[in-house]
Amino acid sequence: MSRVSALAHLEAMEAMEAMPLTRFRHRHLSDRPLVVIPLTMAGEAGTPLAVLVGESRRSSTLLVVGQPRNRDQRFAFAAEFGRIVMGYIDSCRQDRLEIPSRGEERRSRYTSAPQILVPNNGGIKALSDLGRMCRFRRTDGPYPVPAVVPELGKWLTFLVETAEQAGTSMLLPMTGLLGEHWATGQSALEDQNLASLMAWISPPDGLTVQEAMADAENPELCPPAGPATSPQFDNTYLAPAMRRFDTARATGNEQALAEAQADLRGLLSEQLNPTWRLMWTALALLRGVDEAPRAAARFERDCDSFTDYSDYQDSGDARPQPKRDGAIRAARRLSRLERALADFEADMAFDDPYVRADQRSLGEAFAGTVVAAEPDRVDITASNRRVPRPRVTVRTLDPVRLVDDTKLISPTMPPGHKAEIVSIVRDGDASLIMVEVTGGMGRARVPRPGTVPVVEQHIDYLPDPGWRPTPVFPEADQIPWTHAGDPEDSETMDPVAAGQAATEEWGDDN
Amino acid sequence: MIATPDQRLDALRGPAPRMHHNARTLAALENNPRCMLRAVLDASGSDKAAIAAHTGYQAPFGQSSFALARGNVFETMVKANGCAELLRVLRETLQLTLPEVGYQDLNDVGGDGRAESRHARTTHLLTAAARGHGSDTLYDHPMLRLVVGGHPVFLEPDLVAFRVDDRFHVVEIKSFPIVDDQAAPAQVRAATTHACAYIIALRAMLAASGIGPESVSDTIVLIAPKDFTNRPTGAFVDARKQVATLTRQLERIQRIGDLVELLPEGLTFDLAADDTGRPQRPAQELAEALDQVPATYYPECLNHCEMAFYCRSRARADGSLDVLGSAVREQLGGVDTVTMALGLARGTLTPNDDQVEMAVALRHAARLRVELHNSPGAAGAAS
Ligand code: SF4
Repeated sequence: MSRVSALAHLEAMEAMEAMPLTRFRHRHLSDRPLVVIPLTMAGEAGTPLAVLVGESRRSSTLLVVGQPRNRDQRFAFAAEFGRIVMGYIDSCRQDRLEIPSRGEERRSRYTSAPQILVPNNGGIKALSDLGRMCRFRRTDGPYPVPAVVPELGKWLTFLVETAEQAGTSMLLPMTGLLGEHWATGQSALEDQNLASLMAWISPPDGLTVQEAMADAENPELCPPAGPATSPQFDNTYLAPAMRRFDTARATGNEQALAEAQADLRGLLSEQLNPTWRLMWTALALLRGVDEAPRAAARFERDCDSFTDYSDYQDSGDARPQPKRDGAIRAARRLSRLERALADFEADMAFDDPYVRADQRSLGEAFAGTVVAAEPDRVDITASNRRVPRPRVTVRTLDPVRLVDDTKLISPTMPPGHKAEIVSIVRDGDASLIMVEVTGGMGRARVPRPGTVPVVEQHIDYLPDPGWRPTPVFPEADQIPWTHAGDPEDSETMDPVAAGQAATEEWGDDN
Repeated sequence: MIATPDQRLDALRGPAPRMHHNARTLAALENNPRCMLRAVLDASGSDKAAIAAHTGYQAPFGQSSFALARGNVFETMVKANGCAELLRVLRETLQLTLPEVGYQDLNDVGGDGRAESRHARTTHLLTAAARGHGSDTLYDHPMLRLVVGGHPVFLEPDLVAFRVDDRFHVVEIKSFPIVDDQAAPAQVRAATTHACAYIIALRAMLAASGIGPESVSDTIVLIAPKDFTNRPTGAFVDARKQVATLTRQLERIQRIGDLVELLPEGLTFDLAADDTGRPQRPAQELAEALDQVPATYYPECLNHCEMAFYCRSRARADGSLDVLGSAVREQLGGVDTVTMALGLARGTLTPNDDQVEMAVALRHAARLRVELHNSPGAAGAAS
């Protein structure tokens, strides 16, 4: 948060409508995302109650667990949901593109990657719990399950892990996507409610933002977007319906069972449908925002990691992700997440003047007008070569806090432009920053036209995030670390423990 | 005649039965200790949920019968057969050496379920145990007392205190799971807050008999379902920091007696319920009474206090920056309202001496926003 973003929230509060926080949408959006709205049962940790899932607004599939406390019903649900998710993932594994290989690295990758959209962070947590519950299941031995159940578990776990990494787009919460682009006049806490957030961005026809906000917090008008259902709904409707279902099942009355099932489905689809419509409306709004230029490259990295994981699954000895990271895996993960965040922030700042404005108000970047230039300046290198080293002075009103010798890049100059701060001199409210252009001028002795800023030109500079070496971690064994545990994650290696994990209970069994 | 604080508090509540502190009011203590409205409503035992509902701002809370049932089933199971499962976890999972186990049910005293009697019995037994008399190890549902703002409140924890290494330990039985040795931090924190209140109350009780604070451990034993099963597992939670924080906050809470002195004579939150319990007091009048007491709203109130929707509407009407939450608030130190912040940003208001620097920064930020709005391809407002 910077003062510029804070102001956006104030403007929204004053105008009573959402205000843009960014120029672009920084996440790639798939043409064919899979929208998933999971519901879980109150009090039963991560126990699925229902899910509404589908690839288009008009075709959704509702899956319901009649009695979530019952093991068989839960696994039947997991298998059905697994078939839908795996069908979707398979549809992303149709085309592979050869890529020019540098060295021994990958030779081809899938041209697309899955994109699962859930309403909020709670939705991700629900999928994470489901992944954890399913990935250790066995297809043989006690309590066997269909093969698709552990497969679903592993894929959900993979997707949830990617979601922790900044800039990825394979599993995203809708509230997060909207909140990256729009500022509302309410708190971050309230922004986690999809209906409240949408009230600011696009209130339903005929409603003011105030009215839409009030409705959004009324569970009778706007059922929660999950994964928790509203307590009133649980007590008034769901509990009695579930009791009828249990009774019908116990007495073996086929017709009563069918009716009770239909009742439950009716109730749950009423709870889920408003959020379903909201998800697709939100998606349409986001599609109306231009995608940031660098989102495409990030999407390719998504395709890479999707291909990697997919190939690992095909390799035959695919194991479930360990329950907990060992030290090496944890250190790698942390390092990967930190890099991803730094890269994502640098990308966004380069692409987006709004994000740069944030950095400018914090003094971490600047923009201004060139007031003086020495375009013909040259330096003599250590090897006695004359190289062009033009200097220009930029006058800016930004509260610059960068220091001399900071390496700079510029999104408003041709690609490859590099510069360094020579000096910063205060001039009343303004600062005069002298920079030396060090790169992006071509190989000739005179800079290529247009590669050196000229007087009166407006220019943006930000620190060069630079190239950072990939940290080296001890190699534990041959298994690619992205897919398997370190030996110290004994859980995955020890057959006894693995066996226990497979037969572990899941709630009570009644 | 000058009314005593207790009389004033009773008058604030009116004839309705007194509400007791519960998990949520304790959490609010930790989260918003300075809110005078909440302090006064809680101390007077007023029914915040009913008050909020009557003003038209129904509290955003409710509990699912599923969660309730699950919580009860789990607690019952842990405590069944003389706490057999609990003992298994303490011995096997937490590797505690327990001597012979004696179990003491403090739920009622020979059919007397009154808080005072139960508290007296709890005090008697636990003090004796601390002195080395008695052979009990587990105390089911002891009744404790905590002094909040100079006013005693009974805490009826559904927990068990037990004696290990000559110390009492507070045991919290919760039905959220510990999955792969990890539990949701927010839930652990909330559970710890409750346990801290119990630790403080327990220490105060023993202190009255000259027994030092070291007799109560500030490590909590958390008992919760293991992974996605119904089997309990346990974990130690170090509550030292939270005990210190809560102690400090309890000390800092203004004495309720002093607070009520500041309130206008004759102020009451009485709902004037008729025979059927339906409130008859005009809602407008009730709102005016509430508005006499300063509140310090911030968005987290939505998770902790029944009055949250009411206070939020008040904060919104005032254009208070508190409605935006701390992330935005931190950028605008010393400025309280939207009107003032935007006035400074647009140069239509003159900053006072403390706001000069902030005003410069805001004007700069506002210039950047204008630049962005006017730039080609500017992101349009949503529609
Ligand atoms: S909701 Fe209102 S009464 Fe409750 S703590 Fe917040 S400000 Fe105080």
